[in-house]
Parts: sequence; structure tokens; C-alpha cells
Amino acid sequence: MLNTIDTRRDFLGQTGGGLGGLALAWLVGQEDVRADAPALAPRTDFNGGLHHPAKVKRVVQLFMNGGVSQMDTFDYKPELIKRHGEKVDFGITAAATSTPGSLMKSPFEWKQHGQTGRWVTSVLPHMATIVDDLAFLMAMASKTNVHGPGSYMQNTGFTLPGFPAMGAWISYGLGRLTDNLPAFVVLPDARGLPYNQLGNFSSGFLPMAHQAVVMKPNAPIPVPNLHPPVSAKQITPESERDGLDLLGKLNREHLEKHPGDSRLEARIASYELAAKMQVSAPELLDLSRETEATHQAYGLDKPQTSDFGKNCLIARRMLERGVRFVQVWSGMGGPSGNWDNHTDIPKELPFIAGSADQPIAALVKDLKQRGMFEDTLIVWTTEFGRMPFTQGSTGRDHNGGTFVTWLAGAGIKAGSIHGQSDDFGYQTAEGTTYCYDLHATILHLLGIDHQRLTFRHNGIDRRLTDVHGHVVREILA
Amino acid sequence: MRRWLMSLGVGTALLLPAIWCWSEDAIAPSNPTGSPDSKSVNFERDVQPILVSRCQTCHGRETQKAGLRLDRREAAVAELKSGERAIVAGNPDESELLRRVASTDADERMPPKGEPLSAAQVETLRRWIVSGAEWPDHWAYRPLRKPEPPRFASPDDEAWCRTPIDRFVLTKLREHGLTPSAPAEKRILLRRTFFDLTGLPPTPEDVAAFLADGSPDAFERVVDRLLASPRYGERWARHWMDVVHFAETHGHDQDRPRDHAWPYRDYLIRSFNDGKPYARFVAEQIAGDILHPNDAWATAATGFLAAGPWDESSLRDIRDDTLDREIARSLDRDDIVTSVVSTFASTTVHCARCHDHKFDPITQQDYFALQAVFAATDKGNRAVDFDPQAAARRRQLTEWKSGLAGRQTSRDPSLLDAALQAEVAAWGQATKESATQWQTLDPVEFKAAEGSTLTKQLDGSLLASGQRPEKDTYTIVARTELPNITAVRLEVLTDDSLPMKGPGRQDNGNLHLNEFVVKQAPGGDVAAAKPVAIESASADFNQEAWTIAHAIDGNAGTAWGVFPKVGQPHRAVFRLKEPIRRGDEAHATLVIELQQTHGRGHLIGRPKLSITSASNPAESDTLPTAIVDILKLAPADRTEAQRIELTVFYLGQKWDRELASLPKPQLVYSGSNQFQPDGGFKPSPKPRPIHVLKRGDVRNPLEPATPGTVSCLPDLANRFTIDNADDEGARRVALAKWMTDPRNGLTWRSIVNRVWHYHFGRGLVDTPNDFGLMGSPPSHPELLDWLAVTLQEQGGSLKQLHRLIVTSAVYQQSSGNADFRFPNAELKDSNDSTSIRQSEIGNRQSTDSDNRFLWRMNRQRLDAESIRDAVLQVSGKLDLKMAGPSVRQFNMSPGIHVTPNVDYLNFNVDDVSNHRRSVYRFLFRSLPDPLMDSLDCPDGSQLTPVRSASVTALQALALLNDKLIVRQSEHIAERIVREQPDPTRQVPHLYRLVLGREPSPAEADAVGAYVALHGLANGCRVLLNSNEFVFVD
Repeated sequence: MLNTIDTRRDFLGQTGGGLGGLALAWLVGQEDVRADAPALAPRTDFNGGLHHPAKVKRVVQLFMNGGVSQMDTFDYKPELIKRHGEKVDFGITAAATSTPGSLMKSPFEWKQHGQTGRWVTSVLPHMATIVDDLAFLMAMASKTNVHGPGSYMQNTGFTLPGFPAMGAWISYGLGRLTDNLPAFVVLPDARGLPYNQLGNFSSGFLPMAHQAVVMKPNAPIPVPNLHPPVSAKQITPESERDGLDLLGKLNREHLEKHPGDSRLEARIASYELAAKMQVSAPELLDLSRETEATHQAYGLDKPQTSDFGKNCLIARRMLERGVRFVQVWSGMGGPSGNWDNHTDIPKELPFIAGSADQPIAALVKDLKQRGMFEDTLIVWTTEFGRMPFTQGSTGRDHNGGTFVTWLAGAGIKAGSIHGQSDDFGYQTAEGTTYCYDLHATILHLLGIDHQRLTFRHNGIDRRLTDVHGHVVREILA
Repeated sequence: MRRWLMSLGVGTALLLPAIWCWSEDAIAPSNPTGSPDSKSVNFERDVQPILVSRCQTCHGRETQKAGLRLDRREAAVAELKSGERAIVAGNPDESELLRRVASTDADERMPPKGEPLSAAQVETLRRWIVSGAEWPDHWAYRPLRKPEPPRFASPDDEAWCRTPIDRFVLTKLREHGLTPSAPAEKRILLRRTFFDLTGLPPTPEDVAAFLADGSPDAFERVVDRLLASPRYGERWARHWMDVVHFAETHGHDQDRPRDHAWPYRDYLIRSFNDGKPYARFVAEQIAGDILHPNDAWATAATGFLAAGPWDESSLRDIRDDTLDREIARSLDRDDIVTSVVSTFASTTVHCARCHDHKFDPITQQDYFALQAVFAATDKGNRAVDFDPQAAARRRQLTEWKSGLAGRQTSRDPSLLDAALQAEVAAWGQATKESATQWQTLDPVEFKAAEGSTLTKQLDGSLLASGQRPEKDTYTIVARTELPNITAVRLEVLTDDSLPMKGPGRQDNGNLHLNEFVVKQAPGGDVAAAKPVAIESASADFNQEAWTIAHAIDGNAGTAWGVFPKVGQPHRAVFRLKEPIRRGDEAHATLVIELQQTHGRGHLIGRPKLSITSASNPAESDTLPTAIVDILKLAPADRTEAQRIELTVFYLGQKWDRELASLPKPQLVYSGSNQFQPDGGFKPSPKPRPIHVLKRGDVRNPLEPATPGTVSCLPDLANRFTIDNADDEGARRVALAKWMTDPRNGLTWRSIVNRVWHYHFGRGLVDTPNDFGLMGSPPSHPELLDWLAVTLQEQGGSLKQLHRLIVTSAVYQQSSGNADFRFPNAELKDSNDSTSIRQSEIGNRQSTDSDNRFLWRMNRQRLDAESIRDAVLQVSGKLDLKMAGPSVRQFNMSPGIHVTPNVDYLNFNVDDVSNHRRSVYRFLFRSLPDPLMDSLDCPDGSQLTPVRSASVTALQALALLNDKLIVRQSEHIAERIVREQPDPTRQVPHLYRLVLGREPSPAEADAVGAYVALHGLANGCRVLLNSNEFVFVD
């Protein structure tokens, strides 16, 4: 369906291999006693999977930065409505930043939607229309109630900086689907980077090649260094063309004199790929060929939704063009402009939710309509939930105790639900899942056994899932 | 794992070169475990890896299925429950282990999961058992000894060896039937050595001079010159910064810049340049502040402990009674422990945080013993005097001050010394005189903005009552006939109606005055009142970190408080910059605002205002009540106790004034408990209690941990004897002593391996931070030990070690695959030379294709800093200024929260700060420089014992298009035109500058033609992107 290269092995078949035999000898001349070492490369007969057949080839993750209030969106709690205003002792003297207030029901109207009758509040009218396509994890939990560690955890499986993001692990495990674009791309909120800035997208100790490329479609320069600075007048299209030719010639002559070093060959190839990327990236970001209807569906015509909608539409174009893992962020770091609604849920939440709701629903519908549900996974996440009681008069403080995540697309049992929180939405009650389980499930769908995708760093075989993680089979098709 | 990585290397290299990566971390030793060589089986190299990876999960220290333990010999050879023995030395047929691993019966075969052992692996085990199942102690824990460098029968081999290093390396090569490579060309050797020792290329003049120098010691003299150059310290400090994950922001969500982290970087550069003995270098970084309290640089050294990230949200901002705070503290200590032990002892102690180490003999108790060493250590800004005179004086005054209380208690007679008493008396008299001049202000109008009720009292004070709002601002209007006013006094009085009797209205009696504003209303027009500048403020008491200075700093986020001294009145005096003058008016009208907007009801209960015309009014009226009472007595009426109290007070004040007048100390971001509290983040005066934590979880404390270290070194005590349990410094000193003990083989092997790693691109142990069972065994164990002991013998001099390494024949080899060294000229010129060459190349590929045994030098890609610095040197723009605060090569503006906006793209590329060496760049953890990032410069989030050297399309784009590279290409072009006006000679000059050589005629033609069409700057840019520039042979 899509014009991308399915696996690296296919690519090998197509090109007949690239580098010299000595490089190969140099590399495979190793022996290793660790029999748990994974297979050599993703397998064609696994549909590109690494350890078992893959259902998913590409992933888009929608990350709601700041901690979405579960009891104001998807987690319907009659008990909370009934006991609104009551003071309940949860056995803590302090939430993350405040003293616990009294119970607060959602200020928004609850309704059931779709065949599944899923409860959704009025702040997410568009997502309410797609609930039958979604599988909900209703009892996600975090190990922390603090944004920085929480974001790191959801992105890397660890609460500390310096660990590889899920996209980096996937790039490392499966490689790329296309030559023309990176494997892992991040589209931050147009207002700014999330908590932890670029730390959330790092390749950590994995090779730099797996780090996310951050694209800012609304910035004057969406991808740094894609083109020469305009101030350099001596650089013209002709000087570029001739210059790259000259560079290639000099490098090949150098290689002849220094045979058998695959790094030298790889560097030559890297300039050829760079040239391809210079062509592909602007085409990717050019939305002029998308129909008016598409623009409207994603909300590009309205100020509140246009920035996030644009990123969602570009995400779809990336997936179509073979980007393996796209992460789209709603919400910047800092005290506002995100889902971190400490002060005023009735006012703050509708604003941020209104900016993301329509584009997200549009993306899901668009992918489905284009047949991309066949091999594309959509994940909607946040770093933690919020408290059932008030902070100040109508705000809510951080709560790692329980929150909601949903998935859709390939390999997902549409309309399924797993786990539930307690009567107040304070802690998980059953079917608790952590980021480890979510990550294990995503890797599983990609044909990766999360326990076998490892990288040795500072004396430890590191995994995305640390020493945890179970595939959540309840939501798999 | 390794195979996996290699496979990725293959996959990506073959298929998608753009993401191909050569990670040195990833390269397995050429360890033909599967194909036993003709030599004897080596336990560590061949057998142990099989036991560790395939057996010990079920038969190790944690789990012993069927009672079998395969992590130590006595257990492995013991009789099992079944009556069998897994290993019977010398008898393979009796060894149950061998039968089970070779079994074809799926129910019997071991290991039960995964692929069976390969035939070669089984054969390795068999031959090991046949040969006696020798099981030596782990190499890294063995006591150090100095092996004798081997000698050779062949005169040719003897002739090749320049240093003892060569003897060890050549022995290994000969063992494997390998031959060294020819020496590198002089030009190549020079470029290699320059980059290696200084991180900069040789200039064309350096090249010419070296090529022209035919003397036998020409190279040695170059080496000495480079080691003496300040550039050396800059280069090697940067390596160390990788190892210790140094950067200059917190690295978490709130990625606050650390303005005072740079002294540690300067410490490193100085230490390398000064040739600091390694033991001292280690000890200073762990406990320099305690060991050498009079050497400010030794305190800067403890910047090491604070090099890593810090979670400001969790450690400072959230409530300190949360579990998140406690978890963050434990994890921050883990960062310190991990850094210390990984860096100095190459040991993975952090694996034992949640459970005993799975493979190495390290217990969870050991791990928490190390946490206990750092039980009071936090990361913060500490004041240090780099000016030795100021340091000495500050030390003396501080010491005197701290002795005062004791002198008062013991009634030290010297306090009653006549001269001193005369001084006190004179001061007391002066103070008394100035104390009489306050005039109470009578409020004529007063209001509270947020609803407090103020009622005027008989004494002119205002009593607040009624509703207690969260915040409030009192505005008071008063008139005075005083012709000029030099200061305003605020008294906060107690009252029975106030909580705790006040002086504040908060439940605990405290108040928060965040701003004190004095305005003068011309002509009595209150609406037109203008603020008057306040010069300084003092108070009789300041709550810790809530000083009166906060009430005049214009920052509503800070305030004056008086906790815990509540239930008593307090006073503050505000001195005006210029006196308020009444002028011709009958009255001066003052409007005074008491802003108390800090929140939570921290309001003043009963304020009273007065003014003075005294020229030096401050001190007199902020004296504690007790002192005022003593002063009221005539000197003769004072008791001895009162005289002593007065003297003690006087001296304390006097010394405080002098302390304040000393040059401002430099702040150093470092690890200690000697820092100013910052909001909710406070130093711990004594070690916090540390417990062993079940599964590393702070909610599950087990027994208390006492300070100590790992127990894998039999010669050294692993728990420390600390005389005073509260002395946090003594704990770090004990660890520093353990670490630098000459018997600590880990430390000395670790450093020589690191140095070797940077010279050769790969260590003798290629896991420089892991000398445990899961790490790689050394390729040359005897050489490693010889180097370690030699370093000790040479007083821990790293410069001597460098000299030894770079002057070796091994180091000076060619890096080519086929630069075979013929033992003699006849052979080289013989008819057989081609076939000899072919067979030798084949042998190298089949035996040691990745050059583990060093039959050639490794070609290395330049690191990010070297590329950047080399470009600047070539353009002539490199600024060699050393030291000082880091240069921010980005535009920085306040962000929406703590993390600032950091803009690299729009930074002025010609800003002079761009021309400093890369080691002086400000290192922003979560927002790294895109060019440096693309070239694998680590961001300091994790320890980086080995940098990867990736090759990516984005890196290509960065080297082509980054503003700095493009701009410097233009500067290089300008330089060439300036130095070589003749266009026909410009391309050769370009080659000399960028690549250090003459172009071939073909190159000169090709580049010349391009330059003629598109200009020199474009030509420069092409060469800066060439493989020849980016790699060092």
C-alpha cells in the first residue's frame, strides 16, 4: 500500500548490498557467547518483526503534556459526583504541591457514546465520536507525581534523564522504513518544548543515530541545518551540486587509499542520504496539496486547533512516507499552555482540550479511512492523572495513582477496555498498568520481545521496560 | 547482546548507511570462544563468559537450582544433592555439567531455555575441565603485581620494541601469529599525536619543522612540548568531563543553568596541566574540601560529586513531606555513588541498589554502605575564597566567631581584658547616644487592602484583628516636622490577641514582609507620593533564608520572617539612600507600605513605625532587647556576666562587619552540606540515616547502613571506622583513602585503562566502567597490571604515562589494514613479498579483524570538540583564553518557567565567545548544541566512559550547513587570500591548513577547478567535510 521499504532485508535484496566485504568481515568476525543475543535483523517472514511477526509497522504517539485529568475526560465516577464537596481522608497530608482539598466532581457534562457506551465528558466532543475504535487502559499508574520524572518515565521507562526514548529503541530495534526521512520524528507543541525539553526524545546511551529529529513546522526553520544559512551568499544550487560531487570524489579517492574501513564508506553514503532528505523534508511539510476538506477536518482553519492540527496532519504524512515513530505533543512545559490544570479545571481544561480534540479525532478517522489501521498504531498518553479533590478552589494537583491511556489501530481490539480506578479515581483498583506494560505492548505489536531488546550500558543490559513489563493482551485483537 | 549490536551494525551498514554507527562500546573482544584456538583455554576469556551468561541465572549467587552454584569454584566442584558433581577437575566424563550441556535430550539439556551451547562452547568447557578446571580469582580483584616485560629471541623483535609496552603487545601478536604494522608516516604520526594530546591539529609550520627535523629524538621533543602545553589539560579535562557526566544545567524538567559549575572544569584543566598525582586527583574529587580545607581548588574538585543531573522539582519545589521528595533524594544519592564508583573503580555497584549484584561479589549492604558515605551530601552552590588572603582572614574570623559561645559559657577571662573592655565601653556609649533619637510616627490614615482590620493603639502602633486574609498590604500615612529623615524603623510588636502572641498573625506567630516601601507625598498629596530609595536594612533577628534584605529586594517572592523567634517583638531599620527633606513645607508627608503578599496569612500583627535624623542610625536600634537592657546600666553597675555578654555581642557584630567587607567569595557548584538553603532545599547538617532498602524502595527500609564500600578487595576493609558519626566529612575521607590505597587494584587499573582507551580509541578492557564479570576481560592483562604499577611507581603522573604510551612502537604504527611490517628489507623487496603480504592480511582478518591485539593503530573519527576547535584554528579565529565562566554560544531569554529559552540558530555566529575552545562551552543538558550533538558530544545526562562515533545523514547536514562551519569556511578563505595572494598557490595552502599536506596534482586540479567556479569559501567547506579531515589515521 505504501511506497516504503518493508524491511532492511528487502532493501538488501533490492540493492544487492552496499559495502565492501572487508567491512562485513570486520563486523561479523565477532563471536559472542551470549545466546540470548537477538536474531541478526528484523525478519521478512515476521512482517519486519524482530522476534515474532509484527502487526504494526509504524506508530504515532499523541502525548498530552501536563497530566490529563482523567475524571474530567474519560473516567466516569458516580461516587465522586455523589460526594462532591466532601472532605475525604486519603491518608496523605500533601499532594505534590498542595494540601488536599475536598472532593470535586467534574464540572463537565458526562454522556455515553458509541456502541460501546463509553463515558466521555463534554470537553472532548470529537474524541467521543471515535470511542468505538479505541482500546482504553483505565488504570495506568506512574511511580511519580512530578512532571519531569513522570515525563521521563512515560517516554523512556525511567524517572531519570539520559535513557533512550521509546522511539529511539524502536529505531534501534527495527531500523528505518525509508531512506528519505528519519525513523523517529517529534513534533513539539508550537508554543514550546514539553517538560524535560529535548530530554524526552533522546537516544540516551543508544547510538546518536536513533535520536529523534525534532521538527517545528511553524518555526522559520523547521529542521535546523537542513539547508545552508541564507546569509552565505556564495552557496548556490550549483555550488552545492558541484561541491557534493567534489566531496564524493575526494572521499572515494581517500577510500581507495584506505580500504577496508566501512565507516569511511558509511560517511560517503551519509551525504547521499542527506541530499535525499533535503528533498523529502520540504515536500513532507508542504500541506498545499492536501484538500480543503482535510484542512478543515484537522482544524487548520481555526486558531485554537490550527497549530496542533497541522502537526497531526504532518504526522499522517510522515507515517505515509515511512517514518517509523512519530510523536506529537499537545502542551508545552511550564505552568500553563498545557494539561497541568492546577488552578481552574472549568476554565483551563476546555481550552487545551479544545485545541487537541478535533485534530486527534480527525487523525484517527483519516488513518482509518486510508486503510492505515492495517499496520499503524495510534497511542494517546499523558504522564499522570490528577487528584479527585481540589487544589485551591477548582484546580487539581498531580496524581500518579491512576490515569487513562488509549490505543487504536493495528493489532488493537477496538472498543475494548482494561483496568479500572477506585470509586474516586484516586488510585487504580484493578488491571493496573504502568508505562512498562504499555511499552511492552507497543514493542510486542512491532514484533519485538521487550525483554530481548537490550543495550549494554555502564555494566547493565538496559531495556526500555527496565525489569518490568507485561504485554496487555486484554486489549489486543 | 554484542552479537545483536554487531548485527545492527551490519544491517545498517550494509543497508542503510545513514544510520550506521560505530560504537566502540559495542565491539566485542576478538574472543574466539566458539573456535578454541590451539593455545590453552583461558578461564576468564573463554569459560567464565559461558558460565555467566548461560548458567548463573539459575545457578548463581541468588538462585541455586538443584543446589548448584557456578559462580565460584568450591561450590561448583562440590557434591550435589543428587550425589553427582557438576565439575570433576581433570575428569570430563564424571562432570555432570558437561553431560547436561551436551545432552540431546530436551528434558535433560542445560540450559533449558534458549539455544543449546554451541559445539565449540561445549568443547571449551570440556578442555577446561580436562586441564584441571582452573578457576583463578577475578582479574580485577587480584592484588596488583608488576610482571616482567618479556624478551624475545629474535633480534628483529627486540629491535621493534621501543618501550616495555611493546614487549607485552608483541608477545600477544606473536602468540596469535600476527605481525605489527609499519610505522606511520611522520606527517600522520604528528597529526595523530597533536589531536591525541591537545585536541588540535599541527599548524603547517609544526608539520614543516617536524618533517625537517631528522634528529633521533625529534618525536620525543614534540611529545614533551605537547604535554607541557596548556592545550593538553584542556583536551584531557574534556575526556574526564565525559566520564563524570559533567554539564551545567540540572537536566530535568526544570533545567536551571548552574552559573557556578565551571570552577570544577577549571580544576580539571589545572590538575591535568599541573601533573597532579593521580591519588591526589581522586581524593580531592571525593573529599578535597575536608582533606585540604585551605586550598580552594580542592573544594572546587568536589564539583565532581555534583556533576550529574539534579531534580529540582522533586528536591526543591514539591512539598518536602511527600514520598516523591524522599525517592528523589535516594536517587540523587544513587547518582553520586554510581559516579564515584564507576569513575574511579570501574565497578558497577549501582547494580546492587535493588538486590545483590547478580554477577559480581557486591551486596546490597555494600551499596547502601556507599550511600551512607554520602548521607549528608547534596548538590549546591558553596562559597569558596580563591584569594588566599581573604580565605585566611575569613577562616580566622569564622573560627573566632564560632568560639564565642564557648568563651561566654566558660567565662573566658580574656573577654574582660582591659583594652577590649574599653573598646566595648566606647561602642556602648556611642550606641546609647544614637539610640535615643527615634520619633514615633503617628498614623493619620491607614488601611489594609485585603480586609484586615487595623486599630490605632495608644503607643502609635496599629493592631490587626478580625478576618485574616491570605495576603494583605497595609498603607500608612503619617506627617512629621523633622527637617530630614535618614531612616525608618519598623517594630513588630507582640499582643495577647495574636497567635503565639505574635508578632505575626500566622498560626505559628510568624510574618512575611516581602516588601517595605517608603514614599514621600509632595505637598501632602498622597496620590502623588513617590518612592524613596532604601539603601540598606537590618533587623534584630532574621529567620534562616528569610532575611530583612528580602524586604527591599523588589522581589515579591522573597520576604523577611522571624520564625522561630516568635512571641517576642522584633525591629527592623531601613536606611534611606538620600534623606527625606521637609524643605519649605510645614510637614513632610510619608506614605509607608507594608506589602505582605507572600500568602498563607503571614501578616504583621502590630506594626509600629518611627523615624530618625541620626546620621548613622542603623546599628543602634536593631540590638536585641537583652543588650539594650545591659546598655541602659552604667558600666560600673554591670555584672561580670553582663559584661561578658555585651563583649561577646560586640565582637560578633564587629567580626560580622569585617566578614561582610572581605572580597566576595566565589560560588562553586559542588557536593557537600555547606551551601545556602534554597527554598525547600536545605542542607543536612549531619548525615541522614541511611537504611538498606528492600528492592531499593524507600518505603521498605531494612537495617541501617553504616559507611563503607564494596567488599570484593580482600586486602582492604570494607566498612569504615568513623569516630564521630555526625562527621560527614570523615566518611568521604575514609572512602577517598580506600579508593587511593596502593593496594586498591581497581583504581589503578581503571585509570591506566582509561588513558589507554583515549590514546587507542579502545581500552585494554573495552568496558572502561565495568571491570566485573559482565565486563570484558583485558586483552593484555599483564600489560594492564604493568602499567598500573608503573603509574604508582611514577608518583601517579599521568603525563609520564602518556609519554610512555605515545613513544611506544605500538602507538606509532600505521593505521592501514595492509601496512605490513616486513622484518627485513630483503624480504620486502623479494619476489615473494606480494604473497607474504596477502597471507598476512588474510591472517589479520581471520585472527583479529577488529585489531584487539593491536597489529595496527586504530583510525579514529575526530570527536565533536576536536572538529570544532580544529576548524577555528585553521580559520585563525581560535581564542586560546583559558578559564572562567563558560561561554554561552546561544541566545538565552527567560522561559515561561525555570528552563530558559535557548536559541542556537539565531546566535551571532561571529560573537567572539564562539571562538573559545569547545571545553569552555556552556553545556546545556536538555538543550544541547545541534552541531556538537550530531557529532556525539554527550549531554551529561549519563556517565559516558566511551563515546560513540556515529555516522548519520543529520551529521552530514550539520557539518555542511551549521552556521559556524559555513562562517569559518569564509574566514579560512579570507585567511588564505591574505597569506597567499597568488591564486595558483591558494589550493595547496588550503590543503596545508586543513589537511596538513600538499595536494596531489589531480587533487589540486579538481579542487582548483571547483574553487575557480564557486570560490574558495566553498572549497574550504568541502575539505572540512572530507573523510580525511574528520578521521585521524
